[in-house]
Amino acid sequence: MKKHRVLLAAVAILAVAIIGCSSARRGEAIGRPVQVSSPEIQRGQIVFQQHCHRCHPGGEGGLGPSLNNKPVPSFLMKTQVRAGLGAMPEFDKHEISPDELDDLMRYIIFLRRAR
Amino acid sequence: MKVVVQLALAACACLLAGCYGFRPSSGGGQISGNVSRSINANDVALPPGYRIEPIARGLTFPTSATFDERGALFIVESGYCYGEVWTTPRLLRVETNGAVSVIASAGRNGPWTGVAFHDGAFFVAEGGALEGGKILRITRDGKITAIVDGLPSFGDHHTDGPAVSPDGWIYFGQGTASNSGVVGEDSAKFGWLKRRPDFHDVPGADIMLAGENFETKDVVGTESRRKVKTGAFVPFGTTTQPNQIIKGRVKCSGGVLRVRPDGSDLQLVAWGFRNPFGLAFAQDGQCYVTDNGYDDRGSRPVWGSPEVLWKLQSGAWYGWPDFSAGEPVNTEHFDPPGKLRPKFILAKHPNAPPKPVTTFAVHSSADGLDFSRSDRFGHVGQAFVALLGDESPATGKSLEPVGFKIVRVDVRTGIVQDFAVNRGRVNGPASKLRRGGLERPVSVRFNPGGDELVVVDFGIIRHDKTGAHPEQGTGVIWRIARVP
Repeated sequence: MKKHRVLLAAVAILAVAIIGCSSARRGEAIGRPVQVSSPEIQRGQIVFQQHCHRCHPGGEGGLGPSLNNKPVPSFLMKTQVRAGLGAMPEFDKHEISPDELDDLMRYIIFLRRAR
Repeated sequence: MKVVVQLALAACACLLAGCYGFRPSSGGGQISGNVSRSINANDVALPPGYRIEPIARGLTFPTSATFDERGALFIVESGYCYGEVWTTPRLLRVETNGAVSVIASAGRNGPWTGVAFHDGAFFVAEGGALEGGKILRITRDGKITAIVDGLPSFGDHHTDGPAVSPDGWIYFGQGTASNSGVVGEDSAKFGWLKRRPDFHDVPGADIMLAGENFETKDVVGTESRRKVKTGAFVPFGTTTQPNQIIKGRVKCSGGVLRVRPDGSDLQLVAWGFRNPFGLAFAQDGQCYVTDNGYDDRGSRPVWGSPEVLWKLQSGAWYGWPDFSAGEPVNTEHFDPPGKLRPKFILAKHPNAPPKPVTTFAVHSSADGLDFSRSDRFGHVGQAFVALLGDESPATGKSLEPVGFKIVRVDVRTGIVQDFAVNRGRVNGPASKLRRGGLERPVSVRFNPGGDELVVVDFGIIRHDKTGAHPEQGTGVIWRIARVP
């Protein structure tokens, strides 16, 4: 039981550290250029610009929280896009098609890794 | 199993820590402690190969810049800021050593929101919070003549622009009286409703209303406990009926208009904007317009509404008050948390609104813009847009500061990229970051040679629950160019 509590505390501390300490800022100006090359990631960038940028500008926080410093796996992000969460509305397949959603995930992960 | 549940709960707690409902507003103007303006170009981050320097400082509420045919720089100081701070609007010449001299100043009818030089004279958008909006023609020796007056500028938003088209027309914008069509308690908080209790929005063409009315406290009358109902496009405390017709007019709210430099032939080009603050012509002659999105405030709050860059189409209706960036506001996407979903104000829509070129962050305040025309600066054909920054909490909650930067837009793809931002782990105005970089960039203008971008930085505006608190004397003019 004690080992599980220690593990739980370690996970919580690690998550807070990752979320709290790393910067979400990206872009050429700030020294973290986002050089989009592959067609899938380019398509994902357009989907992000059309649907996500307004609340998560460049993956930073704004109306919504930042994305670039959140280690959330793709399947959870996809679920949140389709189902919404709290103030975030849902985006159905007519707004973001399944293929576009896959491209969007590729772009978000690419953005997260840009350093 | 118990461990899995505990881990899942821990993960949920971490996720919820990012959630909108749990976190307080933390916009760029929400600053604790004393604030002051320090200037340090090294605190501004630019892409490799570019540099920035301040060229004038200590200005009060500067909003726009222009160059004459000899390449001399001129700016306007607004004379007004939200929070109802009044100073004298002025047209100033800025020398290369940063010294300023007054070309013209006038009264208390600010804000002066923009200036353009054309055919030997300056054209200024006089926002007109007290006397109504005007377009002024100012000669080099400071003589002021109004070539347009009587614009509906007494409310939330004002007369904006102007920009000169390749064929010599003066284009300008006129913002709306209210947030989303209904005069309410928020109009009183702005300060104008008691001054102008009968003022309201006016459409650009005849419209038919759905007849929605909204109940609020009577913030105009003397009995504070009394409730009143107010419809759209009518004065505070006036109700409307389904299918009621409201007559339109050329001098409307939320329009882009044009006029000849001598004041003749005033025309409405397009309407249905909310606050078309920035206008600029690209090299191909196409006019682009920045338009401020709805706020989460007042009788009909709209949430999640982005700032917009439009391509101007003559004769089009751009969607206000029922669409945001081309999308209908009566959907989940615009539901204000804890409040009612907006319903349509109009029973019929003049046309399906155009699709935007792009959108910017909600509440970031996309304002003045200009197009790069020279390889000596780079990014030819792209729009450079000043994002003034959020005015949270008055406009709605922001989890983090948005705006406070210059962005560039590829108008073919709509992709927005940061161009000039403050250094640091987080985004925000210089005052909040306790640094010396950009505060609130409000407009940009390329010089005639196209190799320098002048940035007009409005200065410090703090925000708290009582409203806006601008700091006079904190405006700066910056210049960005390539490193030689």
